[in-house]
Amino acid sequence: MTGTKQLGNFTPEDAPEYGDVLQCMRCGFCLPTCPTFSLTGRERSSPRGRVALARAVSEGKLEFNQAMKEEAYFCLDCRACTTACPSGVKAGEVMEICRAQAHQQQPLPKWQSVFRNFILQKMLPSPDLLETSMLPARLYQKLGIQWLVRNSKILKLAPAWIDKAEGMIPEMHQPLRQQIPQFSPATTEKRGTVAFFLGCVMTLMYAEVSRQTVRVLNHQGYDVITPKEQKCCGAPHLTEGDRETTRTLATHNLDLFMKLDVDAIVTDCAGCGSALKEYEEILAERQDHNRLEHFRHKIKDISEFLVEVGIRTEGLKPVNKVVTYHEPCHLCHAQGITKQPREAIQSIPGIELREMDESSWCCGSAATFSLKFTEESQKILDRKLNNVKKTEADVLITANPGCHLQLAWGLRQAEMPQPVLHLSELLGEATPD
Amino acid sequence: MISEHITAKLVQLLTKENVITEQEDLLVLGYDSTPGLHAMPDIVVYPVSSEQVRDIMIIARDEGIAITPRGSGTGLSGGSIPIQGGIVICLNKLNKILEIDEENLTATCQAGVVTLDLFNAVAEKGLFYPPDPGSQKISTMGGNVMEDAGGLRGLKYGVTRDYVMALKCVLPDGSLLSTGGKSVKDVAGYAFKDLLVGSEGTLGIITEITVKLIPPPQDKKTFLTYFDDIRTAGEAVSKIIAAKIIPSTMEIMDKATINCVEDYVSIGLPREMAALLLIEVDGHPAVVAEEAIAVNKILEQVGAAEIHIAKDAEEAVSLAEARRTALSALARVCPTTLLEDATVPRSLLPETFTLIEKLAEKYHLRVGTFGHAGDGNLHPTVLCDERDKDEMRRAHAFYDELYEQVLEWGGTVSGEHGIGIAKKDYLARQIGAGGVAVMRRVKNSFDPQGILNPGKIFESKQES
Ligand SMILES: Cc1cc2nc3c(=O)[nH]c(=O)nc-3n(C[C@H](O)[C@H](O)[C@H](O)COP(=O)(O)OP(=O)(O)OC[C@H]3O[C@@H](n4cnc5c(N)ncnc54)[C@H](O)[C@@H]3O)c2cc1C
Ligand code: SF4
Ligand code: SF4
Repeated sequence: MTGTKQLGNFTPEDAPEYGDVLQCMRCGFCLPTCPTFSLTGRERSSPRGRVALARAVSEGKLEFNQAMKEEAYFCLDCRACTTACPSGVKAGEVMEICRAQAHQQQPLPKWQSVFRNFILQKMLPSPDLLETSMLPARLYQKLGIQWLVRNSKILKLAPAWIDKAEGMIPEMHQPLRQQIPQFSPATTEKRGTVAFFLGCVMTLMYAEVSRQTVRVLNHQGYDVITPKEQKCCGAPHLTEGDRETTRTLATHNLDLFMKLDVDAIVTDCAGCGSALKEYEEILAERQDHNRLEHFRHKIKDISEFLVEVGIRTEGLKPVNKVVTYHEPCHLCHAQGITKQPREAIQSIPGIELREMDESSWCCGSAATFSLKFTEESQKILDRKLNNVKKTEADVLITANPGCHLQLAWGLRQAEMPQPVLHLSELLGEATPD
Repeated sequence: MISEHITAKLVQLLTKENVITEQEDLLVLGYDSTPGLHAMPDIVVYPVSSEQVRDIMIIARDEGIAITPRGSGTGLSGGSIPIQGGIVICLNKLNKILEIDEENLTATCQAGVVTLDLFNAVAEKGLFYPPDPGSQKISTMGGNVMEDAGGLRGLKYGVTRDYVMALKCVLPDGSLLSTGGKSVKDVAGYAFKDLLVGSEGTLGIITEITVKLIPPPQDKKTFLTYFDDIRTAGEAVSKIIAAKIIPSTMEIMDKATINCVEDYVSIGLPREMAALLLIEVDGHPAVVAEEAIAVNKILEQVGAAEIHIAKDAEEAVSLAEARRTALSALARVCPTTLLEDATVPRSLLPETFTLIEKLAEKYHLRVGTFGHAGDGNLHPTVLCDERDKDEMRRAHAFYDELYEQVLEWGGTVSGEHGIGIAKKDYLARQIGAGGVAVMRRVKNSFDPQGILNPGKIFESKQES
């Protein structure tokens, strides 16, 4: 996906491949599926337009300018266009690479870049730092200040995004990485051994989800190894255009997990899963091809894994609920996983899965998007909530922490009754102790 | 260049949001789906009402600025590309469905409504709008009318022209023209409506369209048939029609196309087959059953390698969907897809396939062919790379020779994609200098200043 030759007005390091932008034949099939185009009606904010801009830059017809940078970051990287494109164009990925260009070509003001580098290069790569830095947030919540703040509208004075970030923080728990045993044995007749990749957001904000993932795997007959030394998958760095740090993290995780003798490397975070599957491309120039391919084949989303090996349904407790399923972009578009989560849901006795319209339409969270473009994000979210409402389901199921945050926040705002559950939590509910 | 004073006027008329002047926006509004063509507009406007369209036209008229209409930019002959710069007027925000009249079986919509949206809206009322170009997911009704778009159902149900009942448009002098109506018969004066359909945005800007609707067929049966030799497929098409059966769909894909489509949709199309035909018969259940048996028999007689019948409506829809991706899917294997639109009398299909094969070999080109076989309308597509100058030269020679023969056979250089910029030379060859001169006179009477979509179909006044 990235080249090393000087290409038009791209810098040589981490530039899109010319072939990848030429590939777009401008048929427009992607337009109706792109959330940002649907919001603005603006061609340049569509996959076809974005690729055309990248092409103009690579042909030296356009500088890598502010507009390019804006489009690179306005793109949700939801990959809906990849699914829709018959020609195999990956506009979202091209934009992700353009973020790396933005980073090189349009440096941030000093204070912003120091802050950004601190977060991306120091905090996220180091689990310990990240976890202690979240401590104040946990305290703040425990002391009830959060409740106060949320209700007293104090934050209305602050810029909208702080308000929103504040509202989105879920209940904090003890970070899971520090408690989860490195080895957790199968609790039924053993079928094999898997490694568990624990995402940063999962360990900090959705510890309970990941605890259930491990429990479900154990009950399904798998020993689970969760290496303590694992680091962030590198997805946040990719999104922010810092591909070099991603490579460092990727190499670390690759070495760590390839040492283990496991049937699969399972994750319950769609964002991590899609980043891990992309190591093959990200490290293409630095690692042995076979090793990368081998690694990629081992990466499985929890639903992908369970359906592949076959879910043991004997002994599952009935869950008498009507649920609807929101497909995380990074599961359905980036990894092409759409049937497996549904099959996993339907394996639970008593469950009714009621499909919502546009289940694969982005919820508007998409990493930092929701914080940078609050108003737009809200409109995308409203469309989603409306589709949830029409199903009259009891529970909304999803499978990615970003979506989880956004949807939970949205449902609360809209005073809708549905709780949001990760697929693992639902499976956990059905799994006997 | 557009002066500041004109920009200010447009902003006052349309608000800032709907007037685009930033370079990056202009850059992405100067292409359509035709490979290799691009031109920069000076300014782009998005009217949201018919009145605004008229007011914009009046500004263009008074200032003598070129103005080019654009729907969704999926055109395949460069019709919406502003080769003389000036104003591009995007109609896709004019996107309301105004009425579905169940008594008169008509629907009226604004020009920017997406084809599939109209189809779905009338389907909800139990009605049927048949024209379904491959691009229906995003093409606009205005674009369809202006290119007289065909589709997968053209064989039995006809093309866009056959459904247009009335048009409202703004002429280049700023006057309004309303032509046709809901009555099924109308011989009052010249048939402007028919002149406007297929005029590629050179005579007027369409604001409103009324189309005819029909009741949907009660039943249908879909065949997916594979062939070892593409000529046999061509033979099957002629034989079916000779047996007085008019299927709603007879679409063809050759081996290269099958493989590209399968790469995208993964529905198990046979990669090793030379060709496939997608055939659909529809209508009254009794007739469908009878025709299906007859079609099956003909397919067996000509020696089809395999015959499958779609098990349900869902599968039939997914097959049609797969066919619609053909052109874009071919673009998977190469950076540039040069596609043509040759149309021949149906009985000559087998000869046409032989010719395409022969020419591809002669010019050392990779060609993927698909199209509306039942209409004799093929899209031989050269899979190439625009960076390779020699290959591009050979591709053009390929088409030159192909068209020569197609014209000799009494065919046409464009079945449905129009002339636009891409095929001006071929048109002159087909209809001769006299024909072009008459077209020019018609154009002059509508647009004496030559400001509306200049340089399309034939050279503009300035150029010649
Ligand atoms: C993948 C693919 C498949 C296709 N399949 C088919 C097919 O099966 N059959 C077929 O016939 N075509 C097909 N096409 C071609 C194309 O989609 C049609 O020509 C379509 O009608 C163009 O619609 P548009 O809205 O994109 O128009 P544009 O490309 O934007 O414009 C087309 C022409 O109409 C003019 N125009 C647009 N709107 C107006 C208006 N309101 N008033 C006046 N002039 C206007 C423009 O100036 C231009 O000359 C296909 C294209 C693609 C990319
Ligand atoms: S990105 Fe793909 S779907 Fe979109 S216009 Fe380009 S080729 Fe068509
Ligand atoms: S990734 Fe999503 S937001 Fe970005 S261009 Fe594709 S569809 Fe649009």
